[in-house]
Amino acid sequence: MNRRGKRLLDDLDQEIRDHIELATQENIDRGISPDEARYLALRKFGNVVRVKEDARAVWRVVWAEQLVQDIRFALRQLYKSPTFTGIAVLTLVLGIGANTAVFSLVNALLLHPYDFKNLDSLVRVWENRGIDEGYDARNIAPADAADFLSGAGVFEEVTTYRDQSFNLATEGDVEPVLGCAVSASFLDVLGVRPALGRGFVTSEEQPGFDQVVLLGYSLWRQRFASDPAILGKTIKLSERSYTVVGIMPPKFSYPVPAQLWIPLALAPEQKADRSDLSVMALARLKAGVSVAQTTAALSAYAQRLEQAYPKTNAGRSATALQLRKELYLYTVPLFLSLQAAAVFVLFLACANLANLTFARLIGRQKEIAMRAALGAGQRRLARLFICETTLFSLLAGIAAAAISFWTVRLLRSSISQDWTKWVPGWDGIQVDRTVLAIAIIMALFVGLGFGFATIVHAGRANLTAALKESGPGSLSRAKGRLRSALVVSQVAFALVLLVCAGLTIQGFLRLSNVYAALDPFNVLRIELSLPEKTYSQQTQIANFYQQYLHSAAALAGVTQVALSSNHPASNVDNETAFFTIEGRPSPKINETPSAAIQTVTPDFFPVLRIPLLAGRRFTESDTFTQPQVAIVSRSMVERYWPAEIAVGKRIKLGKSDSASPWITIIGIVADVRQNWWNPAASPTLYRPFLQSPQPSMTTLLRSGADPTSYAASVREIVLKLDSGVALRGVGTLQKEVTDSIGIIRIMGILMGVFGMVALALSLVGVYGVLSESVAQRTHEIGIRVALGANPCDLMRLVLAHALRLTLIGLVIAVPVAFVLSRLLASAIHGVVTVDLAILAEFSFLLVLVALVAAFLPARRAMGVDPMVALRCE
Amino acid sequence: MSTEEKERLELLQGTLDLLILRTLLLGPAHGHAIAKAIEFRSDEVLQVEQGSLYPGLHRLIKRGWISAEEGTSENNRRAKFYRLTAKGRKQLSVETNKWDRLAGAIARILRPTEERE
Repeated sequence: MNRRGKRLLDDLDQEIRDHIELATQENIDRGISPDEARYLALRKFGNVVRVKEDARAVWRVVWAEQLVQDIRFALRQLYKSPTFTGIAVLTLVLGIGANTAVFSLVNALLLHPYDFKNLDSLVRVWENRGIDEGYDARNIAPADAADFLSGAGVFEEVTTYRDQSFNLATEGDVEPVLGCAVSASFLDVLGVRPALGRGFVTSEEQPGFDQVVLLGYSLWRQRFASDPAILGKTIKLSERSYTVVGIMPPKFSYPVPAQLWIPLALAPEQKADRSDLSVMALARLKAGVSVAQTTAALSAYAQRLEQAYPKTNAGRSATALQLRKELYLYTVPLFLSLQAAAVFVLFLACANLANLTFARLIGRQKEIAMRAALGAGQRRLARLFICETTLFSLLAGIAAAAISFWTVRLLRSSISQDWTKWVPGWDGIQVDRTVLAIAIIMALFVGLGFGFATIVHAGRANLTAALKESGPGSLSRAKGRLRSALVVSQVAFALVLLVCAGLTIQGFLRLSNVYAALDPFNVLRIELSLPEKTYSQQTQIANFYQQYLHSAAALAGVTQVALSSNHPASNVDNETAFFTIEGRPSPKINETPSAAIQTVTPDFFPVLRIPLLAGRRFTESDTFTQPQVAIVSRSMVERYWPAEIAVGKRIKLGKSDSASPWITIIGIVADVRQNWWNPAASPTLYRPFLQSPQPSMTTLLRSGADPTSYAASVREIVLKLDSGVALRGVGTLQKEVTDSIGIIRIMGILMGVFGMVALALSLVGVYGVLSESVAQRTHEIGIRVALGANPCDLMRLVLAHALRLTLIGLVIAVPVAFVLSRLLASAIHGVVTVDLAILAEFSFLLVLVALVAAFLPARRAMGVDPMVALRCE
Repeated sequence: MSTEEKERLELLQGTLDLLILRTLLLGPAHGHAIAKAIEFRSDEVLQVEQGSLYPGLHRLIKRGWISAEEGTSENNRRAKFYRLTAKGRKQLSVETNKWDRLAGAIARILRPTEERE
């Protein structure tokens, strides 16, 4: 009913009253007594109630009322067959729920990782020196960055920054905090405003004026009790005083996991520097400039710089990558494969549903024919089916939405903060309106689709034949073909999905084993960082750690203690160093040997149980005064000394003309993967701590019992030595290893769940269709038995039919599955590998299920008394 | 008084709409006026239950043939006035034409001889 009609009807009462009053008045004017006059007027008007009803009927929409009827009928139908409804809804819930949950993940992490203004026009810009292959630092020279802004013509603004860690001192406690030094335009480029206070101004970019700081929201909350009065006060960062000028909004942390920002104050000579790629750069593109245009403009401009400054910029190129894409370079394929799996599960759910509705339709053939015979129009019947299917789809959609809320909450709470702080957008994971809408729309489409399919099918049904048919016993040839097609497609779908899920799960399992080469059990880890002011000399650093190590090793129950500059599973890549091998001709610039470099103390290898393959380990006598030594990893030997004995060979860091001393290789250790995203263990060069001490080191302490119980004693030792040293990241290595592959585990678990759902859905589906199609032939089998058919032959016939359909499905699916797994393998490099065994295993499984699905109902059919089978009209 | 003595005719289905349209051709009118006009112009032969006028009016509004607006009646009362729309005017001529043909056809069937002679 529209607004116009409603208003007219609202006024109708008054209108009728006026009408009767007028008529009465006229009658009175004619000399009739008032009572009589009113009576006559009323009589002439007719039945007031009916008039109103008729007027209302003009406006009422008939189809809407019929719709209500249809919905009520559909509800009754669904209620009457709870098994069908239950299975159908559950199937869809699985399909839609999986999609909603995964899309929530993808939506938050890939589509909205950062809460920045116009994210798509933000790019990371960096330079490549041509000799950095495999070394992905993404840095830029400050002077080059400034030139790109003024000269490349594609950027509205370029801002530079660099990570910096601080020791934050509050009330006698010192804590290392990761921060970032940023140029004044940083927040403007990102389009973010501080929640409290102000951002930086250009004058603060000069050395001497840069002692101001912006605090991250969670740091502010945890360390400063959310005190707004902190604005304007000074805090101590690495023994320098900084005035707090602002607090950043809650979710802001760029670059992750930075928690405070200071101005990037470069001296004029640093600003003009081109030789050192010392900063990172982030740029906002001019309106209408695409990333492709930017890349082209950058490489053209880099060439001009090359010509202008051949000394520093020779061989240097520049690249831009969308900020959105940069972060998830490694994980995008994982997310996408997850999403693909979710879509496949939905497909499978739909295929199952198609079979279910089809089976039900056959059961209802008579009812439909009866309705049609009694005069139900095609359209009315169609609406009935659409109502039914849409109703349960919507039901499923709502249930799925509810479930996805729960799943997402579970997902968010099940991963530790230690890990998720590295994931921009993680806090934004939620079932948002878009996701919900998609779930509901998906449900609606599925429902409408099945509704229409049912109608098309029912429309073809022959009325008379259907009414005469005594039951589902006699199937028409067309229907038999359709059913066969369903079996075939079900088998094909199932195989493709199972193979893909299987391969991915296998890949994830392998990935979660990446750290198999080390033994993190019973190892305590503590990060120490020495204040740079008091430890400016290498000997000071070495002395501190020597004393510390001796005291820690003396603790009762401690087996071994070691230090490492960057231990495996730290989620931080090692620094890469170029080196020169003694006696080899100097290679081309982009073939300079390189290796990941790590500094460790002698007990590092035994603490992590990394086996020594040749030579000797470091000892405490490998000091400054002794010849420089190094231990190399097996993969480094394989790459640079494949056919030689590496122990005893000499190398030096830098190019052939570098002045650094020659280093003798004294040992070879087994390979250890640094981080899960490295496709393989990278060649690693280990240096003895006493020959290259560093202020920040991680303690790895192996003990006989619970390693965390030593945390307090270690802290005591450190504070006794120097109360200005910051301790951080106290925990077990076991936990860190687990956390570091957190996302892999979650992906693996999700994939596993999908795999199970897929397996269940496809097996139930294949079984359902096949057993149904055999059960339909009970009548025929009965006749054959009655006519004296050999049960064995009969069984062979039925099984052969099932087998034939399954094999057709497999023949279709195997090449598809093969191609898809090749695609998967190339998309998730290093995770998935094509495995024909899995293909064979799942094919076998499906054949088995098919045979069982055919065998059981066939045996039942043969067991039935022929007379009963014949009579089951 | 005299109305009761006269022979009254039931209205044919669908003709009420035509009569309303025709009446409104003379100008906008409120419900009671339309009822009276139809009665008066048919020499009070047609027996229209005045109430049935209203669902008819609603039907015509829904089709867009007439529109309703607030106005003041002859005795200064607020009342709903109905007005023929351009679309309604067109429809009236179509309907009238149709009616003429129908009436002519029926007449020819009922009195074939008279017609021919």
